[in-house]
Amino acid sequence: MSGPQPTGPVAKTTSWKVVIPFYAYAALSFLASAVLLLLSGEAFTGHWFQPHLLAITHLMALGWATMVILGASHQLVPVLIENDLYSDKLAYLSFGLAAMGIPLLVYGFFTFNLGWPAQLGGSLVLAGLLAFIANIAISISKSKRENVHAVFVFTATIWLLLTVSLGLALLFNFTGSVLPRNSLYYLPLHAHLGVVGWFLLLVLGVGSRLIPMFLISKYTNPRLLWAVFLLINSALVLYGLAFLFRPAMATDLLCAAMVLAALLLFARYCRKAYVQRIRKKVDDQMKVSLLAVALLLLPVLVLLPLISVLLATSPHTNNMVLLYGFTIFFGWLTALILGMTFKTLPFIVWNKVYRHRASLGKMPNPKDLFSHPVYKAMAAAYLLGFVLFACGILFSATPLLKTGAVALLAAAGLYNWNVGVLLTHQPSKK
Amino acid sequence: MNNTEARQALLASAYDALKFVDDPEVGLNVVDLGLVYDLVLDEEACKITCLMTLTSEFCPMGESIVANVTEALKMTVAGYTPVVTLTFDPPWKQDMISEAGRAFLSGY
Repeated sequence: MSGPQPTGPVAKTTSWKVVIPFYAYAALSFLASAVLLLLSGEAFTGHWFQPHLLAITHLMALGWATMVILGASHQLVPVLIENDLYSDKLAYLSFGLAAMGIPLLVYGFFTFNLGWPAQLGGSLVLAGLLAFIANIAISISKSKRENVHAVFVFTATIWLLLTVSLGLALLFNFTGSVLPRNSLYYLPLHAHLGVVGWFLLLVLGVGSRLIPMFLISKYTNPRLLWAVFLLINSALVLYGLAFLFRPAMATDLLCAAMVLAALLLFARYCRKAYVQRIRKKVDDQMKVSLLAVALLLLPVLVLLPLISVLLATSPHTNNMVLLYGFTIFFGWLTALILGMTFKTLPFIVWNKVYRHRASLGKMPNPKDLFSHPVYKAMAAAYLLGFVLFACGILFSATPLLKTGAVALLAAAGLYNWNVGVLLTHQPSKK
Repeated sequence: MNNTEARQALLASAYDALKFVDDPEVGLNVVDLGLVYDLVLDEEACKITCLMTLTSEFCPMGESIVANVTEALKMTVAGYTPVVTLTFDPPWKQDMISEAGRAFLSGY
């Protein structure tokens, strides 16, 4: 028999109750990070290993970026793998554990009390991530179809597990002797497993599906995505092995070049998807997300000079390390989240409010559920703050750091305001 | 108006009604987006069946789109029970967007 055949009822999507707590927590963490940035601006003129910088970095990495990614993953992974999320209960458990652990960990870093608060916090975060990874792994194993995006996501969760396990070992190593060398030695490995293995791999895996989808683009190129996957994972394995057995600048440069090549391939993928799009008018949220793709290149472009500077043992190395970290957490990751929050969260809220209100009466579209002028103001404050603060780090200029931090705090405040508008949206009485 | 003409008119009004049901993400109606594969009127069973797809099998908006299509048919084709049947064979492709839909998405 030819022609379309019925395939069954509408697939169940992840409940908004699972996803929204992650977004709300992340928004508050971004605001708290911006407050800490303002209070600790001068720390950015000193050495990179400082309690306040460790606290801000972990609040940004875990409270902001990881929490929003975990929330979005519970919604997006079923779309990627074309299968239900295995368990809502595991999702609640992962939220609860991570939500309790992150403040303890950040408090421990901020006060540089690396005893029980930080160790308990780190252990809770690890337990929460194990619940998340189990949920994703079982969901993927039950999926009917395999695709490159799901492989990116699953591999990223494995790198996340390694990152957090190593991080916890480093914490215990501060107070006892767990590892052969001091914790400071292993920090670059911990940071790069997290940034490249978890954030980068996951963002590329999900972004490669979402960017063409939101642009309504016909472009697809699994071979190119597999090349990106192999380049990044090979770079990570090579970096990890070299770090543990035979650290060498040449290997670091090779790994950075492999990641840069992967990013250039991904940028090419996005460009082709953009050129072949059917939807010509690109909204502000997609513009900010595409800006994030461009910002992806910035940390690597900072990393390569950084390694060169290290080779020459210049006194400016410290500024470059700080700038490198700043461009990752406040640059690329933040830009991406600022854009993608308002592409994903409005749908979740819309489904929550309007799913059962089917009628021919006019309903608002998801994009109408938040304030666009506030979004534009947030994007402008963010860009201004990012550039000023980055210049402040580069030139060790406190006035630039303070002004940049104020603008970033304004961006975080406006972001929270718009997220609040979304989360409290009620249908009109008409 | 004979039976065939009446039937055609009823189907045409049903299609017109579906042009008021938008995919909330795209902002384009389900007919021009190419999601509606077929509309079948069963006069004996007093049933109108819409065979349609979604842009993705796990489209987060799927439940709402199907509910709106059902409601649109119920309000337009009085006396007939609306039945919405989903299919992902063939899957939706961008080529299924109508010329009018493409013009809308191009901003013209």
